[in-house]
Amino acid sequence: MSATVEPKTVAPGDGGPLNGPERTFRYSPINYLRRYGAAGLVLLNLTCFFILWELFARAEVVSPLFLPRASDMFRTLFEGLSPGGIILQHVFYSMRMFSIGMLAAAAVGIPIGLLMGASKVMDSIFSPYVWAMAALPRVALMPLLILILGFSDSAKFTLIFLSAIFPIIINCMAGVKTVDQSLVRAGQVFGASKTDLYRKVIFPFTLPFIISGVNQGMTRGLVGLVIAEIFGGNKGLGYLTTRAAQSFNPALLYAVLLVLVVFSLGFVQIVKIIETKAAPWRNYGS
Amino acid sequence: MTNMPSPATRSATSAAGRNDVVIDARDLVVGYRKLREKIELTALRDVNLQIRRGEFICIVGPSGCGKTTFINVVAGLVKPWQGTMHVNGTPVKGPGPDRAMVFQDYALMPWRTVQENVEFGLEFVKHDLSKQQLADRVAHYLDLVGLKGFEKSFPYELSGGMKQRVGIARALVCEPEILLADEPFGAVDAMTREGMQAELERIIAETGQTVVLITHSIDEAITLADRVVVVSHRPGRIREVVEVDLPRPRFEYDIKANERYHELREHVWDLLKGEAFGAATEGEA
Repeated sequence: MSATVEPKTVAPGDGGPLNGPERTFRYSPINYLRRYGAAGLVLLNLTCFFILWELFARAEVVSPLFLPRASDMFRTLFEGLSPGGIILQHVFYSMRMFSIGMLAAAAVGIPIGLLMGASKVMDSIFSPYVWAMAALPRVALMPLLILILGFSDSAKFTLIFLSAIFPIIINCMAGVKTVDQSLVRAGQVFGASKTDLYRKVIFPFTLPFIISGVNQGMTRGLVGLVIAEIFGGNKGLGYLTTRAAQSFNPALLYAVLLVLVVFSLGFVQIVKIIETKAAPWRNYGS
Repeated sequence: MTNMPSPATRSATSAAGRNDVVIDARDLVVGYRKLREKIELTALRDVNLQIRRGEFICIVGPSGCGKTTFINVVAGLVKPWQGTMHVNGTPVKGPGPDRAMVFQDYALMPWRTVQENVEFGLEFVKHDLSKQQLADRVAHYLDLVGLKGFEKSFPYELSGGMKQRVGIARALVCEPEILLADEPFGAVDAMTREGMQAELERIIAETGQTVVLITHSIDEAITLADRVVVVSHRPGRIREVVEVDLPRPRFEYDIKANERYHELREHVWDLLKGEAFGAATEGEA
């Protein structure tokens, strides 16, 4: 953490001659193990898991209808994801719906959240609706949406949008409201105008909140996506799970679930990386 | 200059050209509203204080006595209820580039590097510096506070003492006439604190700024100040302004071995002891 500030304490004779506060040292195998060992352990763990699964399924302790062999699942997965495969087109469809819904939720939610944080009037106008909608399980809206919009893409898009937007609004609002008052005071002392304060102090302070709002919105949006696809239509990963179950194809069902896990983790991970890049100070005690 | 508010105040300090008043507070009454309780609290009452150019003023007093309120009035962040505050002969209407502040909690922007944080001091001020001149000026003050080599570090990578150096550099980079400091070393450990006091004395000797520094350490006040303003418990009134006639630079010799130092210390301590015993001892350990 403070590597740039204090010289590293190194056991004598560990590296080169100590002339300045810094010196380089070489990695020993143990250093490598400490650094990359965790990743190796995860790999080993997962391999064991799938092997046990395979053995368990082959023993047919559970009906193969509920638990396919891991190898079957992987075969279906690779076939399905190869060009022209059955899973791939649905992945693309779901990803497109999800991206459009998320972009719209962010584009609308961030400004509303920032406004609510900055202005008491805006807050009191919007907050009853925001909190009511945030409290309502969004799934309950699906029948209504189908009634209005039918089994259409716009019904799905609306559910994703509504699922994702409220965590975004609430986080943006919290960011502006919790802005460090001494930073605002510093801005004022050094002559910042109201606009300057928003641009140079409050917005940068809120940025990590915005990102984590988008992150939470994504997990909620994904739930919205799958539920909307299960409810209706004939496209998307959610639809594919119901189809696999109805056609007694457990290998396909498990493969789609795995794709969803990767899908979700991938998005969350990307946002996490953006967060650490955008606000490195957040990982420290300030 | 002649109507100093307290009997203990003696004639102006030795240096020539120091006799014009920079900060002029007259009959100041300042307070704030507590909305929920529907009461208005007076923080400062009947404050008369004239501060001369190049003077180093320390304000001591028990917690909650309105020291910070006073400095906020000078900075232009708080408007007085009654009385007037003039800086260089003009009434204070708001913050201005002639005054800069150092904060107890540093108030550095965590998303900015050390260099960018120092640049913040000049960001909203009209100046005719070229990019190069600006960079040179920032570099000069970073060097002055001993942060050369840390330009690209972020505040979270620095120790408390170093963060406050950034805070000081940010205030100095505007080259203000008046440097305001609100318990600048309050959050710094005792050893770093003494080192930084010595550095502040050296820097101010170089820049010749007028300084108003709040502290609740009597030792800090006496080692740094030309005059110590002792403020009473809320509502804060000036109890006495104590002239510190110890030779400078004070960190070149063992000031604590000086007889006069202890006399002054006793005197200020007696003034404060009557105020709020508990509050006054806190910062002293």
